[in-house]
Amino acid sequence: MTYHETSDSILTVENLSVDYDGKKIIQNINFDEKDITRPNKIQGQSIAFVGRSGRGKSTLFRCLSGLEKPKTGKVLLPDMHKHQGEAYPPMKEVGEGDVGFVDQKYTLFRHKTVYQALQFAMRKQKLEKSEKHDKIMVHLRDWGLETVKDQYPNELSGGQRQRTAILEQVLSHTNYIIMDEPFSGLDVGNINNVKSAFKLINESHELNTVIFCTHDIELAVALAESLYVLGYPTLENGRLEPIGTLIKKYDLKSMGLAWHDQLTNRHYDVVEQVKQSILES
Amino acid sequence: MNIKSWFRPFEKISRRHAALISGFWLVLLISFWFIGTSGAKKLFPPPALVWQGFKDLYNEGLVVHIFSSLWLCLQATTISIVFSLFFAYLSPIPAFKPVVKMLSRMRYLPLTGITFYLAMIVRDARTMQIWVLVVFMSLYFITSLMSVFKDIPQQELDHARSLQCSRWEVLWEVVIKGRLDYVIEVLRQNLAITWMMLVTVESILVAAGGLGVLIKNSDKFMNHGRIVALQIVILLVGLGIDWFLDFSRRTLFRYSKL
Ligand SMILES: Nc1ncnc2c1ncn2[C@@H]1O[C@H](COP(=O)(O)OP(=O)(O)O)[C@@H](O)[C@H]1O
Ligand SMILES: [Mg+2]
Repeated sequence: MTYHETSDSILTVENLSVDYDGKKIIQNINFDEKDITRPNKIQGQSIAFVGRSGRGKSTLFRCLSGLEKPKTGKVLLPDMHKHQGEAYPPMKEVGEGDVGFVDQKYTLFRHKTVYQALQFAMRKQKLEKSEKHDKIMVHLRDWGLETVKDQYPNELSGGQRQRTAILEQVLSHTNYIIMDEPFSGLDVGNINNVKSAFKLINESHELNTVIFCTHDIELAVALAESLYVLGYPTLENGRLEPIGTLIKKYDLKSMGLAWHDQLTNRHYDVVEQVKQSILES
Repeated sequence: MNIKSWFRPFEKISRRHAALISGFWLVLLISFWFIGTSGAKKLFPPPALVWQGFKDLYNEGLVVHIFSSLWLCLQATTISIVFSLFFAYLSPIPAFKPVVKMLSRMRYLPLTGITFYLAMIVRDARTMQIWVLVVFMSLYFITSLMSVFKDIPQQELDHARSLQCSRWEVLWEVVIKGRLDYVIEVLRQNLAITWMMLVTVESILVAAGGLGVLIKNSDKFMNHGRIVALQIVILLVGLGIDWFLDFSRRTLFRYSKL
């Protein structure tokens, strides 16, 4: 699995912290993801966050997606809008709508059918109406949503709602897509759908990036190139400080574990290590 | 048929049994009415007297009066819902929020105070009726609409924002289009109070007839049968509007499961 790490960042977070009503939820979050290239391949990246419930994964994601202003710190992304077509645009602070976001509850427009929702997601693209239609229909077929295309969210099952929510973001053409627990409550087939969505997103543009969190550590190790553990840090007296921060990073690509079709024993070793560090934070 | 299960909390029973239970209560109520009013001392007019009252009302043009009230209701509701929506849609905008909040607080103003000021501007009684109702109903509608919009989960707003909606698009898609069905529901929720208000206004500001006028006249005659008959009619018309609104919400908006 040869790859090359460029010196260009795709996502930089500096000293991020968030308060709710004066209570610190997360603090001191710093990381920098560089673009990596692979020979003869378009390779966007997947970044996983894992950690116990309530450690601030959703809170961090809301900041990364520009939906919430952090108390301190910055989230920086390449400015793809102003510098369209450039290989590595200069970085800018994230704004609303720069990043697609699929929340834990797979929220949709309650007054739009699946088809209408996807049409809406594509509204800014310069395509003919019939081209859009064809594109939507192809995806609906691939994702097993064709039969429910004229149904409203209240008439869909949880899995169907979730796939629609992800598809909306895929079709809306943002380079960055954040998914909050995209695998929770899905059956085996649906999990494969979401996995192939990751692949589809990653392979359609060099800078396309999927950021996700999950409680399924094996999936996280299988899908991500970088994996971060978000948890409570241990204080000197041995207790945990109840403010979320990054505890550990696993650079799965440099460990030679990224882009495998099958998990090996080395993957499972890492899964165990990750679980251990989640438990300790 | 397991009658014991009818008395178990949260028990799900078949539609037929539910209808049976309702029928039982109805029969009980009616027979109570018949038996309770058959003696010499009467607290409540017996069915025969009410039936007589109903016939009297019918001969006096009950149907015309009902339509007069419904017409007033339609006019006043239409104007006030347009007003209220305008203000309620402004409520997510910080600069206008205090204005909308203040309007909603105004519902504690007494009806008479409002009529007093309106009387200085409006002469014609029918117009007066409409505007009293519009002012009054709007305050209630604004209050309910505001609470509907306030209850929109942050996730729905965020979902729209993450699809590159500008803030105005969020307002349009999530608040305006996404909550149209609630507008009907708000009408329905407030119907009881507005319907009562309408009949009261009609009886205070007598204009082109209506159910309120009939009540006022019955008052004069001290005719119990007539009063009860009229109350029943008013109740049934009110329930009819309620049913109609609920029906239109469910047929117009398939996504509407409240
Ligand atoms: N809107 C909010 N107001 C106050 N506290 C919140 C809010 N949202 C989340 N929290 C708190 O922030 C912490 C982190 O929550 P969250 O980011 O949802 O964690 P995770 O997604 O990792 O389970 C929790 O302790 C939660 O109670
Ligand atoms: Mg969460």
